[in-house]
Amino acid sequence: MSVAIRGLHVAIGGTSIIQDVDMDIAGGERVGLVGSSGSGKSMISRAIMGLLPAEATVSGSVVLGDRQVIGADDATVADLRGRYVGMVFQNPGSSLNPVMTVAQQIALPLRLHYDLNRAERLDRVRAMLDKVGLPGDVMGKYPHQLSGGQQQRVGIATALITSPRFIIADEPTTALDSIVQRQIVDLLVSLVDDAGASMLFITHDFAVLSRATTRCYVLADGAIVDSGATADLLARPAVPATVRLVSAARALSLTAASPVAALSTASPLTAESSTAE
Amino acid sequence: MMVVLRAMWRRAEGRFALVVLGLWLIVAGVSLFWTPRPLLETDGYHVWATPSAAHWLGTDGTGADVFSWLMAGSRTNLLIVVLTVLVAAVFGLLLVAAMVARRATVAVVSVVIVDALISIPTVLLALMLAVPLGASVVVIVVACGFGYGLNLARVARPAALLAARSSYVESALSNGASGWWIFVRHIVPNIVPVLLVQLSLSAGTSVLAESGLTYLGIGVPSGVPSWGHSLATSVKFINVYPLTVLWPGLIVTVVVVALNVFGDVLRDAIDPLTNPALRERSGR
Repeated sequence: MSVAIRGLHVAIGGTSIIQDVDMDIAGGERVGLVGSSGSGKSMISRAIMGLLPAEATVSGSVVLGDRQVIGADDATVADLRGRYVGMVFQNPGSSLNPVMTVAQQIALPLRLHYDLNRAERLDRVRAMLDKVGLPGDVMGKYPHQLSGGQQQRVGIATALITSPRFIIADEPTTALDSIVQRQIVDLLVSLVDDAGASMLFITHDFAVLSRATTRCYVLADGAIVDSGATADLLARPAVPATVRLVSAARALSLTAASPVAALSTASPLTAESSTAE
Repeated sequence: MMVVLRAMWRRAEGRFALVVLGLWLIVAGVSLFWTPRPLLETDGYHVWATPSAAHWLGTDGTGADVFSWLMAGSRTNLLIVVLTVLVAAVFGLLLVAAMVARRATVAVVSVVIVDALISIPTVLLALMLAVPLGASVVVIVVACGFGYGLNLARVARPAALLAARSSYVESALSNGASGWWIFVRHIVPNIVPVLLVQLSLSAGTSVLAESGLTYLGIGVPSGVPSWGHSLATSVKFINVYPLTVLWPGLIVTVVVVALNVFGDVLRDAIDPLTNPALRERSGR
């Protein structure tokens, strides 16, 4: 599903949060939206989903496929959500209902959009759990009984159970450790590619972005300040906001990579002799 | 169900509540087809009699068997409690739905209305209802259901607001759920602990309200057995025949305490965080 955003402007209480944002995502394309905390990334995702707070004023155009979201009636937007557009949230722990089992969570979009009986829903849930790498016995478990990584896999399964044509991943790895981050990004990318869906991957982390997307937009203070191929922006950042984000990603990678690199390059003999010393 | 009951039984206060409320249900059921003495049987030679083999809890001023009237009264009180809790729950939840609505105008107006209505005393409302309806169970149920529904809405609102603004509700919205679906399936299940405690308090208070309103002459009508009726007919003679007041008073007190404790224990028993047995069950 293609997405076209033109002149998007969002204000809350007279304060402008998003200014004149233009974005395009082609069908089957994985596009990133990167920016520091508070730059307005999540506000754009909420505008696309029609989930802005009641007090927000919004203008411009957001077209999903051939349907305009801004100004559309509740029924139209509700039909798009879950069926054609899936969303993966930042904090898997709090985005899962604490009193619903995993099966109930994942089956929710099916209940809302498709006329299936319980057995058919459970069959699809079981198949989806298999795709996201979770065992079938988690179906009866509650969110608090799962690890952070497992919770996010449930979030991904919920977003993808109806095979939506467009996925918004709103900082899906921020609350996870670096090993699980990588697993989740790879899982999300492979599932989205397999489904032939397009994806908007929102993050503040360029390192994660380079793994998940081919093209990206850089957001600063509510406005798009840079855009291009993710690899190019990462290699040759030109705009100050992009330079800051790339430098931060490099600094973190270097700090984190140094001891690992040292260990991996160290020969067993060196390791043994240093232990002996 | 059995997992929840077992968790409640494990606690002393849970056992107390289950035994008292279980006895209440059994006695109310049995009274439908059997009481030690017919209700309308009076013995003019044995008025205000002390407990004996013939009259286990003695007789009242008309010579009627106190135990039989208390047994029959248990089903009236059970009916009042069930109806009051139902009215309070439905009315209160409708108010909560309005108070946490996404439309700010609906939310603000409903909060103001609840704050204004909560200042009307339940007794005053019952007195006003009694003008057209006379003494009736309906007066108790409507007055108490209305008052307790307002209390429920006010107490449950913060928890409901927290749920309504949560990420899991946003996630449900992003899946295409409607406002009403979200309220019923996502918000209400997450405020069940608050609802249980508040409704069990309402159940207990409705037992007390039945006694008070019946004593005022606007509750259960004359001739219909209830614990409040048994208290009202004998309370004038408390200095002379205290036993006839003691029995219904004791029953009301024990049942009210049991109802209050019941909600508290049930809340813990149905929560997977506080009941490990529920977690083990869901993990299988």
